[in-house]
Amino acid sequence: MVSAGASRVRSIGRVLFVIGLIVGFGHALPSAITVNDTQPDPPAVLFSRQLLAARHLQVGDVVELSGDPSGANPQQFRIAGSYEPMPDPIRVTSERLEARLHLPDLLRLTGDPDDPQDDDSLSAINVKLRRPEDAEAFARDWSARVPAIGVRSSSGGETEHNPFEVLSRFHQAIASLTVITGAVFLLALMVLLADERRETVGTLRLIGLTRARVLAQVLVEGAIIAGAGAIFGVALAALTEGVFNAFFQWRYDTSLIFVRVTPSIAWRSIAVAIPLGMAASVLASWALVRSNTLTLVRR
Amino acid sequence: MRALAFAWRSLLRRGGRSALGIVGIAAAGALMFDMLLLSRGLLVSVRELLDAFGFDVRVLASEGIPQSRLPIEHALETARALSALPEVASAVPFRIGEAEVAAESERPDEVALFAVGATTRRIWTVVDGRDLSGREDDALDVVVNRRLAERMNAGPGTSLELRGRCSATPSILPPVTVRIAGVATFPFDSGAQLTMASRFEVLDRLCERPVGEADLIMVASRPESGPDAAVDAIRKARPDLYTFSNDEVIERFERVGFSYFRQISTALAIVTLSFGIVLITVLLTVSVNQRLGEIAALRAIGFSRHRMAADVLWESALLVGIGGLAAIPLGMALSIWLDAILRSLPGVPATLHFFVFEPRVLWLYAGLLTGVALGAAIYPMWLVTRLPIAGTLRREFVS
Repeated sequence: MVSAGASRVRSIGRVLFVIGLIVGFGHALPSAITVNDTQPDPPAVLFSRQLLAARHLQVGDVVELSGDPSGANPQQFRIAGSYEPMPDPIRVTSERLEARLHLPDLLRLTGDPDDPQDDDSLSAINVKLRRPEDAEAFARDWSARVPAIGVRSSSGGETEHNPFEVLSRFHQAIASLTVITGAVFLLALMVLLADERRETVGTLRLIGLTRARVLAQVLVEGAIIAGAGAIFGVALAALTEGVFNAFFQWRYDTSLIFVRVTPSIAWRSIAVAIPLGMAASVLASWALVRSNTLTLVRR
Repeated sequence: MRALAFAWRSLLRRGGRSALGIVGIAAAGALMFDMLLLSRGLLVSVRELLDAFGFDVRVLASEGIPQSRLPIEHALETARALSALPEVASAVPFRIGEAEVAAESERPDEVALFAVGATTRRIWTVVDGRDLSGREDDALDVVVNRRLAERMNAGPGTSLELRGRCSATPSILPPVTVRIAGVATFPFDSGAQLTMASRFEVLDRLCERPVGEADLIMVASRPESGPDAAVDAIRKARPDLYTFSNDEVIERFERVGFSYFRQISTALAIVTLSFGIVLITVLLTVSVNQRLGEIAALRAIGFSRHRMAADVLWESALLVGIGGLAAIPLGMALSIWLDAILRSLPGVPATLHFFVFEPRVLWLYAGLLTGVALGAAIYPMWLVTRLPIAGTLRREFVS
């Protein structure tokens, strides 16, 4: 993204006002949007779905927009359509009251009529590079060439202080604690299972199965139980994924995806669960396998 | 023998299994305890921050996210008018900006700059040097945070050259030389933030912005009036402004900004509660099933149904109680780790915490654990009370 430096903060302030009207608090400025059907062909504007609903407007309506907080000097626009705003996790709690204007219309709406250069000021230019991997070098190069503008790559946010990276670490920490809790639970169940099968293990030893063979059986059982549990858990998560997303999309009026069970997550869950199950089985059965055979069959 | 003592001996007799149950409850309880700390922690912490310097009312020109808020025009006059209200002790206008300060490194450092209308009430604490003064000669004085002072190898009396950063780009206005009056701690500083506070004159020179504009006015109500009366008075005097008490800010924050942590803590608390209930139910049920003969014999020699149910309930209470107690220090230790992860979010003030202890957490935790103990004991108690004595004795001993 290339940000062109505008010396006229006032002008940017007005642009920000319109963006503010768009993004945050159109409801605070009812005079800025007025339905009007008097002019035949006003320029087109797109309204977000949320803004249309909040103002009880529909496609084809003519509205008046003003770049001034007081609603002065309004200009008419016809709503050509509505759109779903780009999902943005950072703004998930904000009402998406937004509009999209053609750039010349926005500049005309927000520009200072006494300043001829005002029509030529922008807050930002988005640049798509032919080679996206050159973004950092491009930003450095242009920052050096034109000191009055700020150029930064829109990628490269994978630092440890990226909010989503931090939240991801938090989720992983919580998940690891949940896994530890689950492992204790699994161990308790395996201890009970092993206890229940004391005599069976004794009989198996009596008919000639070695300790290693019994232990292998225990290991396989643990893997099967943990694997089945993990598959059930993944299936349950996949089934309830839609319910979670539907609830939160309704709660925040957004099209953001909150929960997604990806193949990588599913495999990771299974890959963690199976070794845990095997370890719990061995731990729970260790004393049993090492016990004297006659003790196991109570003789 | 009392039911409690009987239950205690039963648990001791199956020491390994009981220990596993206690460890399981301790692990689940620690996570649940942490979720209770998280459920309101940020709110409590934000509240403490808001209340820290005695300002209990905020006045804005518009609602919405900070980036899109309108400035308050003629803020100094407005603040004076608000200060004159009988419900108001003081009103301080603030402007928030950014500046660049030349460092020895290749790139200049970005500094958060708070400009404040002349007053004695501050949102920072001076730890070295002196505070900003109202004298004309000191108009370009600043106070800086410790990190900035160390970064610039500067202290009280040192001069710094600032360049405004009024939008996404550096200002084209000439740099301004300011003098460090003192070093201060700022409550809203994030971990790596360089912070500076000045009078309005500094920001006026750094940025092309109309003189006298402020982003907000912070108001301290008179103790005898309280914040609600001050809010009413300000709304009556200036209906064009948006006035909020700290309570209203917190209520709004709770409704929108805080909902993520509340939801995640609710979901995980439910998961851990379920874990606890299922774990203890399984342990007790297996234990009861393995002791059916013993229970039938006790019933046969005169132990009542209620007494046997009480034994099971006490076993559940002991397992959950001991595990729950062990979970508190474990949960506190884990919360320090989890808190540190969340506090590394960019822009989070260093004094803000996500996991905060308050006494109500203990009561809530105790209540939930009581629910776990009761819930876990229901099925095994039902098994015990419905046990046919003669049939069980015949099956367990005779056959």
